[in-house]
Amino acid sequence: LCCGYWDMAALIRGLRAGRVLRGLGSVAVQTLSPQGSNVRRAFHRTILLQLVNDSKSDTSVPPPSYHEVHTAGESSSSSAHGESSEDAQPNTSFQDQSGEHGEDYETEEQLQARILTTALEFVPQHGWTVEAIAAGAETLGLSSASTGMFNNGAGDLVLHFVTQCNAQLAETLAEQNNQVQLGQAESKKTAEFMRDAVEMRLRMLIPYIDTWPQAMSILLLPHNIPGSLKHLSTMVDDIWYYAGDRSTDVNWYTRRAALTGIYNTTELVMVQDSSPDFEETWAFLDNRIKDVVNMANTAKEVQATGESVVQGLMGAAITLKNITGMNQRR
Amino acid sequence: MHRFVRPQLMLRDSKQPLLPRAGHLCTNHKSVVSSVRGYVVLPPTSDEEEKAMLHRMMRVDHAGEYGANRIYAGQMAVLGRTQISPLIQEMWDQEKQHLRKFNEILAENRVRPTLLLPLWNIAGFALGAGSALLGKEGAMACTVAVEESISEHYNSQIRTLMEKDPEKYTELLQLIKEFRDDEMEHHDTGLEHDAESVNLNYCHDRMSCMNYNIKIQILNNSNN
Repeated sequence: LCCGYWDMAALIRGLRAGRVLRGLGSVAVQTLSPQGSNVRRAFHRTILLQLVNDSKSDTSVPPPSYHEVHTAGESSSSSAHGESSEDAQPNTSFQDQSGEHGEDYETEEQLQARILTTALEFVPQHGWTVEAIAAGAETLGLSSASTGMFNNGAGDLVLHFVTQCNAQLAETLAEQNNQVQLGQAESKKTAEFMRDAVEMRLRMLIPYIDTWPQAMSILLLPHNIPGSLKHLSTMVDDIWYYAGDRSTDVNWYTRRAALTGIYNTTELVMVQDSSPDFEETWAFLDNRIKDVVNMANTAKEVQATGESVVQGLMGAAITLKNITGMNQRR
Repeated sequence: MHRFVRPQLMLRDSKQPLLPRAGHLCTNHKSVVSSVRGYVVLPPTSDEEEKAMLHRMMRVDHAGEYGANRIYAGQMAVLGRTQISPLIQEMWDQEKQHLRKFNEILAENRVRPTLLLPLWNIAGFALGAGSALLGKEGAMACTVAVEESISEHYNSQIRTLMEKDPEKYTELLQLIKEFRDDEMEHHDTGLEHDAESVNLNYCHDRMSCMNYNIKIQILNNSNN
């Protein structure tokens, strides 16, 4: 899959050297020979003609006077910068670019991720919409038409945010786990661990809490449900894994179902919570976790009682068999 | 192609569990995924499809061993006080060992267990107890049929893995081969102990086989 992205690098190089036009890629598109399924991608990439994120070769490529060059402040690696700036053939054939220029070049997914991350800054202003994505793209120096890359529009933005949060959570939990393994920290009890993990994850929503109901409704759209469910289940699995759950029976399912319920209800409470620093939400969370713990304890007690009852009955049955002489070895 | 350093095969009695080797590094991977015992069964992979396939295999195997466990439990519940009970107990202990191993693998690799476990719990116990009610021969016939199905299933898994990449899946292949040999042993034991002397053996055979095959099919389909 990755090898199909390398032609983007050549495109950027060739076009940069060849005086890029802003926003329109029609000329450049025609000079490229489309490669089968990459036609659509090539078209999308030509929209990003003013992708300039190279502090290094700034001076060597004189920017055309009729368009601005924005340099965003990201430190993430972008495509084509750092390459030797040959003002070479404008229409470089990209057949010779096959996969040699590894890490310098950004894949489409990385670029999309960068745009979406930047777009998050505009969410408080525009909401979870395509406008936010467009604003983010423009901040990076790209045309706002690059929102065409995102087939799912606002859904992409929300899912990207969820992915980001979950990754952050997993990282933190792994880090804590490491610390415990190394003996540098004490391991928490399950209930406390759950509480802290859910609180940590929900706190990531705080900057966007005003628009979060909109995001939640986007996640509930039918075409987004598979994605959002997958993210939710991965997150819940992560939390339980780091809490130490290694069950391989039906408990696997009951625990995750319980945590999903806790997380979803707490999220709903948080969205309409107006107390300082969401105290009520955390109190609600505490109570829900206590409920689940109580339920688990009760279940255990019921099971123990049940077993004792069964044993009692068996004892009675054996006594009866003994009395009636039926209890003989075959 | 991922290449693993080929671990040394150790000669061992088939009854002993797979002995732990010193942890080994795949030279192309940057990290070693290792269990508490220091060796890896499932090769670490970043390909989602391959991971899904391996997880599915482990899930089915786990469910299979769990079911076999319950079958022997059912048999012991009925025949636990007879002459045949030490034999059944021994076979049951081996199945318990297998189940323990799969539990380990599932936990280490964060494989989801199958949702149908309670169903296999009841069905297995019922099958074991039901066949044992037909007497010792019935129990042995059930064992023969079930072990035959399990061996078939393991064989087809071995074939799949060999077709893909024998070197990468060395450990996994070794594990499955070992378990398959154990199951064949159970199968032969069942035959030895007059499983074939029962007339309704044929029906029973087919029923147990069918039962087991249905189970495998359901698992394969539901986890796909």
